[in-house]
Amino acid sequence: MDGSATPVASPGDPVDSPGDRRPFAAASPAMSSAELPGAGRLGRRSFLAGAGAASLAGLGGSLLLGGCSTGTTARTSQPLPSSAGLPPKHGGSLHVGTTSEIDSFSPFSGHWDNTGLTYANTIYDTLTAIAADGSAKPYLAQSVTPNPEHTLWTITLRPGVLFHDGTPLDASVLVKNIEAFLGSPLTGPALSPIAGARVVGPLAVEVSCKEPLVAFPYYLSTQVGVVVAPSMIDPPAGAAPRPVGTGPFVYESWVPNAHFSATRNPRYWRKGLPYLDRVTYLPIVDDTARLDSLLSGSIGLMVSTNPDVLLKLRSSRSYRLVDTLQRSVGEPDMDFIMLNTVVPPTNDITVRRALARALDVRALIKLFDAGLTQPSTGLFPPGSPYYAPTGYPTYDLAAAKALVREAEARHGGRISLELATIPSSREVLATQAIQSMWQAAGVDVTLAQVDQATLITNALEGHFQAYTWEQFSAPDPDLNYVWWSTTTLAPVGSIALNFARNDDPLIQAALQRGRENADPSVRVAAYRTVNERLAADLPYLWLSRTIWSAAASADVAGFDGGRLPGGEAAESFAGGVLSPVQVWLS
Amino acid sequence: MLSYLAKRLVQLAAVVFVISVLAFLLVHLLPGDPSVTILGPFDTPTARAEILRQLGLDKPLPQQYLTWAGNVLHGNLGRSFLTKQSVAHAIAEAFPIDLELVIVSQVIAFALALPLALVASRRPNRAFDRLAGTATFGLLSIPAFILAVILALVLAVEIHAFPATGFTSLTTSPVQNLRSIVLPSLALTAGSIAVYFRLLRSDLISTLQEDYITMARSKGLSDRYILLRHALRPSSFSLLASAGINIGSLLTGAFVVEYLFQLPGIGYQIVESISARDYLMVQGMALVVAVAYVVVNFAVDFLIVLLDPRIRRA
Repeated sequence: MDGSATPVASPGDPVDSPGDRRPFAAASPAMSSAELPGAGRLGRRSFLAGAGAASLAGLGGSLLLGGCSTGTTARTSQPLPSSAGLPPKHGGSLHVGTTSEIDSFSPFSGHWDNTGLTYANTIYDTLTAIAADGSAKPYLAQSVTPNPEHTLWTITLRPGVLFHDGTPLDASVLVKNIEAFLGSPLTGPALSPIAGARVVGPLAVEVSCKEPLVAFPYYLSTQVGVVVAPSMIDPPAGAAPRPVGTGPFVYESWVPNAHFSATRNPRYWRKGLPYLDRVTYLPIVDDTARLDSLLSGSIGLMVSTNPDVLLKLRSSRSYRLVDTLQRSVGEPDMDFIMLNTVVPPTNDITVRRALARALDVRALIKLFDAGLTQPSTGLFPPGSPYYAPTGYPTYDLAAAKALVREAEARHGGRISLELATIPSSREVLATQAIQSMWQAAGVDVTLAQVDQATLITNALEGHFQAYTWEQFSAPDPDLNYVWWSTTTLAPVGSIALNFARNDDPLIQAALQRGRENADPSVRVAAYRTVNERLAADLPYLWLSRTIWSAAASADVAGFDGGRLPGGEAAESFAGGVLSPVQVWLS
Repeated sequence: MLSYLAKRLVQLAAVVFVISVLAFLLVHLLPGDPSVTILGPFDTPTARAEILRQLGLDKPLPQQYLTWAGNVLHGNLGRSFLTKQSVAHAIAEAFPIDLELVIVSQVIAFALALPLALVASRRPNRAFDRLAGTATFGLLSIPAFILAVILALVLAVEIHAFPATGFTSLTTSPVQNLRSIVLPSLALTAGSIAVYFRLLRSDLISTLQEDYITMARSKGLSDRYILLRHALRPSSFSLLASAGINIGSLLTGAFVVEYLFQLPGIGYQIVESISARDYLMVQGMALVVAVAYVVVNFAVDFLIVLLDPRIRRA
């Protein structure tokens, strides 16, 4: 992750020729990493690996952070033999089943989840992209270079890039984009460290920061790194601007909740790409219906967080399958229970410890995750440079009971709380299991179902005790700054981005060190501290990481990895984000 | 007859008005507002107030309703708060799906229920009547969502005869359009077949005991002729009234089937829009459904008046 601390420059732009004999010839890395805090799926579409029903909320998916983890290449379950040796082919049309629908193609106002980022990968490009080693590399930018203090970043664009409408990409367009992001009520707060941007050359822009921001290149791989044509920045009042980017496909049509179609961009700046003539996305929110669509041939490619998909297809030799089970770099999407640390009884650390001790996560994973994952003890999975034992309390019913008794003595009565989730059958079942575990420890638990929009409002205003939640996928931990910072605290009734309202100055100090320090060892130590403090404070009861899988029929290839313009291996399929740029039909 | 129809028209117009007011009030009763979905986690009081001002949601409710109703009367249903797409355009995309779904499912229902009822009513409580009654009772007992899943698994996943999800428009490919609409139509039609069969059968049995039918038989007319020319018309009033209500409710009630087959019809879109607090979209679609419901029921009333001379003379 030290790429954030150093200039990122592209050695060139080698042609990604059809002769590139990689088995799955590379999904574009662009935006294949987490989006900005808040700019994405704040929703907890899945709990213990997802439930399509929650996506009925439509926009609902936009509660939690965008589901994208960065890092190592995805594990290929290989129900089919590798297609190594087969050169990619041009042509053909592909139907892709997505998990949700988006609300807007505008990066300034759209709440992009994995589907939003997939759509964005189709029409737009980001300035940087994440490589397989987890570092941020130039993509639409030729280089992204900091001053020694990391308070001033110079972005130099690639020459000769055209938007779909023929407008050239230059520094003035980029400045307009950055200003639009800064002025947006959605993306502006996440870019609060940025002071402004100015043109310093025909293709060069200088971005000044209010404080050192070593992770800046990572930000540019997310929603705020997307560059759109000027026509999208100042659209006619009230009208939806036609999406115009520099991406591999040109927008053709979009009927919300029905389909989004795009055709090949013949002037794409990555020569020889894309391979497909046309791609059509079909939002199929129900996991079973999406899988049935793949099995019946209605679609050729789909993504899912449902472990049943993995179980069903991993043994089949008629489908290609990749998943994110083995990812270890960056932060994966986490499933957890969020506790409000300022309202009783969860404001009592003894109660929070009791709840953590009473939670048999391994049993929950067995029940709802098909036993595919491991219980999480923190933000980072084993293998991540930020991973270290956190001292997170593991399952111990006897200890939980003792802690409950201790809390009862202090509170003068039984401990009771409400655990709420969204109206999804899968999540409701999971909360029932959790309820029985907590009740076994002596805590009275009532369950509630809250629709997605209300859930967001309640979390923001602190009107909750315990919520099931999914969040924190990010290519760099700094992108999660606002969710854990003490600077985003507020009393109950006021809006706080630190939803759990966990007030820990040690976390704030560590976050600041991680934000400002370019030394990888210092950053690692800082985020390990954050992780340890979260395990001590227990605003989040960790369950497991979200498993994303992408499944395709046998004739679809190139959706799980690829190469960046500089020739580096790109981060492959992650966080449910696909890119059609190097997908081809055999 | 004209006064009867005029009276019905006034009643139905009142229904449209009441539904528009109810739809307007109900969406405003939902907790939260569009600013929550528009702003997401960065929902600050200032930003929220600004969004509500931009959307005109800071005005008193009666004023908001009058503004909206005035725009509707001028043919402007507004734009989605979220996608900025025209509500009229969204309806134009979604409504034909429901229309086709309803038409195909009702054609199938009538095509099966009518002959079954005609044959069964000729010899009530005999083997065919009991068999048909049991079969339709079975159809009535299977919820549409279960039938939908079974149909998808058997005919789409296993046999690959039809797509499991999605909709192809008639203009894109008539064949693919038909393939995409068959399974959801079958899922929806099961209940209709049972209801239509039972209504028509019982009315036919009752009609066949009328004196004029006995007279027709005594004149030597064939059973087939009597059934089709003398019994069917007076026995079809309950069926038509029921079909009117059924078709109206299918326009939005098909949501579950639309969800399972991923057909972006009106019901599906309304549910999505409610979740997103997309007020104008919900109001516009509810209004269109109300108008469609009213038109269908008015057409059925008109048909009954045409078929039943007693109402014409009343």
